[in-house]
Amino acid sequence: MLEDELTVNIRHRDGVAIIDLIGDVTTFAEEKINGAYRQVTARGDRFILLNFRQNDYINSAGIAILIGIVTEVNQNGQKLAVSGLSPHFQKIFRMVGLAQYAEIYQTEEDALSAFRRLGAVE
Amino acid sequence: MSDAEGVTGQVIELRLPSRLGYERIAMDTAAALARRMGLADERIDALRTAIGEAVTNAIEHGNQADAAMKVVVVLTVRPAELIICVSDQGRRALALEQTKTQPRIADAFQRADKGGWGIWLMRELMDEVEFTLAPGGGNQVRMVVHLERSPVGDQ
Repeated sequence: MLEDELTVNIRHRDGVAIIDLIGDVTTFAEEKINGAYRQVTARGDRFILLNFRQNDYINSAGIAILIGIVTEVNQNGQKLAVSGLSPHFQKIFRMVGLAQYAEIYQTEEDALSAFRRLGAVE
Repeated sequence: MSDAEGVTGQVIELRLPSRLGYERIAMDTAAALARRMGLADERIDALRTAIGEAVTNAIEHGNQADAAMKVVVVLTVRPAELIICVSDQGRRALALEQTKTQPRIADAFQRADKGGWGIWLMRELMDEVEFTLAPGGGNQVRMVVHLERSPVGDQ
C-alpha cells in the first residue's frame, strides 16, 4: 500500500530522450530508472532529460540513484538535464551538488530550448 | 483544531512497523501538524524530507527492516517550536561518526554505494538535530523546527 509505484515513460522530442518520472523516487525506483537510462543509452541518445512531476517524494535513496545516473552520463559523454522539480527539490539538488552536473529547468519546454542551443537536432 | 493554539502543548505518538513506505505516515502527520502551527510551505517541505530520512534510517538501519520492530515517532508542539523524536529498537547501533558526515558528490562518483545523504540532509534542513540513545536502548534522533523563520533572507 505504501510502496508507491513509480511510472517511467520514455519519449523522444527534438533529439532529446525524455524520461518521465511519475511517482516517488525512493529505493523502490532503482530498477526502473536505471533500466530507462540503459535503454536510451543503448539507443545512442546523447541528450537526456529527467522530467519530474512537482511534489512527488524524492528521498536520499532516490538521490543516490540519480548520482549513479550522473556518474554514467559523465562516463558516456552524454548531457543530462532535469525539469519539473518543485522548489524544495530544486534546493536539495543544489545542496547535494547534482545541479552542477544536471542543469535544472522549470519545464520540459525550457530544457528542450537549452538542448537545442547545445546542438540537439529534430 | 483550526489554529496554532489548538495544537500547542499536544504530544502525538506514532508507532510504525519497520517497513519502508511507513515513513510517509510520519511525514504526512508531521506536515499536517506543522501546517496548523503556521509553518511556511518551504519549512514544511524541509520537515517532510528530514522526518522521512529519520524514519527510513530507523527502519533500515536501527531495526534492520524487521517489520515486527517498531519505530516510534513523537511529535511535541510547543508555542514556538515543533520537536520530533524518532527512535528505533536498536538492533544495530548508529556510530557517532556516521552522524557527522559531510558527503561530497565528487566522492560519491567514485564509490559503488552513492548513498549516505540522509543524516546530512536532516542536519541541513532542521534547526536542531541531536542523536542520543533511546530510553529502551535504541537509537534516537531529536529534531527541532523553530516557528520563527530563522534563515536570513529566505523570505
